[in-house]
Amino acid sequence: MADSLSPVRVAACGCITPFGEAAATHAALLRGECALKAVPVLGRDGGDAVPLALLPGRTLDETVPPGWLAAVTRLGASIPEGDWGSPEMPVFVTGSNFGIGSLYALRRSGDASFAAWSSPPGCTELLRVALGWGPDVSILSHACVSAHLGLLQATRVIEAGLADEALVLSFDFLSPFVAGGFHSLKILNAEFPAPYRERDSGAIGLGDGAGFAVLSRGRGDWRLAGQSLYNEMNHFTSNRADASGFAHCLEGVVLAAKGRKVWFKGHGTGTLDAGRLEVAAASRAFPGAPIVGWKGSLGHTLGSCGLVELAIAIESAKSALAPGTVGGPGRPMSEAVATGNFGTAAFDGVVCASNAFGGAHAAFLLCND
Amino acid sequence: MIEGYLHQVVTDDPGGESPGATLERLKGSFPAGATRRMTTLGLLVGSALEKLGPGERDAIVYATGYAESRALESFIDSFPAASPTLFQTSIHPSAVQQLMIGRQRPVQELQPLSGGPLLSFHALRACLVAPCARVLLCGGEERGTWLLEHGLASDRTFAFAASLTREPRTGALAVLRLSRRRGEGALGLAAFFDHLHGRTPLDAMVAPGWHLYLEWR
Repeated sequence: MADSLSPVRVAACGCITPFGEAAATHAALLRGECALKAVPVLGRDGGDAVPLALLPGRTLDETVPPGWLAAVTRLGASIPEGDWGSPEMPVFVTGSNFGIGSLYALRRSGDASFAAWSSPPGCTELLRVALGWGPDVSILSHACVSAHLGLLQATRVIEAGLADEALVLSFDFLSPFVAGGFHSLKILNAEFPAPYRERDSGAIGLGDGAGFAVLSRGRGDWRLAGQSLYNEMNHFTSNRADASGFAHCLEGVVLAAKGRKVWFKGHGTGTLDAGRLEVAAASRAFPGAPIVGWKGSLGHTLGSCGLVELAIAIESAKSALAPGTVGGPGRPMSEAVATGNFGTAAFDGVVCASNAFGGAHAAFLLCND
Repeated sequence: MIEGYLHQVVTDDPGGESPGATLERLKGSFPAGATRRMTTLGLLVGSALEKLGPGERDAIVYATGYAESRALESFIDSFPAASPTLFQTSIHPSAVQQLMIGRQRPVQELQPLSGGPLLSFHALRACLVAPCARVLLCGGEERGTWLLEHGLASDRTFAFAASLTREPRTGALAVLRLSRRRGEGALGLAAFFDHLHGRTPLDAMVAPGWHLYLEWR
């Protein structure tokens, strides 16, 4: 039986991206490969070509059942067996879009068969049945920090003694709704992203992604310390210019990382202002820490990014080699930005950070002691 | 068993009130001009939450199954010239953000939940495991139009906000306890709202294996 005072740990973790599962994705990033391709922003309805990283064989236009279901089912098969969805082993499903591609298709086509997948509760219920879970499945949706919220909720429920283990599943798959939305904000455009690099204008890419983590008090090699949230509430799509939101969120992680040598896996979408603020805040909080971001290759996997990139960070720690920042050309925003791969053996932790609309921030320290 | 105390409870049950009438009724709760781009759900949830004086150290747990139904409808109908304003407004936590960004009021935690028959249980559990001195539980739904025809929006508009502590304090309005018990049950958000609005007690299974006791004082 687990010691009630022992920390909650990550007992298993995995992800899928256009490169494959976590090890394949890590290997592709080490090779500097880019999964982004120029795709019409509205799928079959055309529009500007923008950088999107879609799962192999998947198009932006939704089907019934959704084109992403097979990939999530494959990911589900890699989740350790358990009585998931029972009171003792609850599930936390997180994302920012759920079946929004189905909703878009429903309205555009008038085909009512899209309806069942079109809302967060409906989509999650069908997924629950497909993956064979019991009914205790919470749904959290806070844009691009959603995965962090799931990890935090799961940790708290276990720490409170309300569950033995918990499963967090996060997914986000692209659609004309999502691509069109970011395109309307002009940050998804014809340019490919170059995270943490100076250039004339910012640009992001978007990507398909899903990840899972099993949290347990009794087993696991990895620990999430200093889990932290902060919401600036300054603007819907931009941050406070003084970077105070980044600093507030990192305060708790700095405490958790005291005395450790860490590297920093940032959010790094490719927007200029947010990139500069994040690099500055990370450098102040963790002097000397190499900063990396992988969305220049994978695209921004939105609500799932916190879990997808956690799985890659774990692969990096396991193999003692972290991929550098992948993306287009430009001068790095700071000497701290790691543009090449680097060994992680000399480090004893990685800070994983994500940001979202509304000036939302989330971060934690991943360590294996 | 975990226990909490409700201190302030604000509810709004506008019945069949039109979005325009809701705007007229509630616009005085917000700074001049702030309501121009607010949604019906943003007005209702924001007005209720504002009465609790949300502060930076509070945790906000926000429960809504369908969230910004009308903004979603309008955003999708804006294609192929997608509206950036509607895109921002249509995201799940938007109602809370509309208030807090309008007031320029940061908050440590915002936990936006969705769900169906177990949503109330999941929201209450999130409140009761939050390590903050005060948790603000808010939620609601807005009646959709074409989404409702497909069963993808609420058929009812309502909103609520309540402050909750884990420690007993003088003047608590109600005590609530979640405990493990054998049996099945569910408590959707509208049904939970009715208990808050009517100040009616509850002694029932609210999820498989979980019982809720709610007693008003």
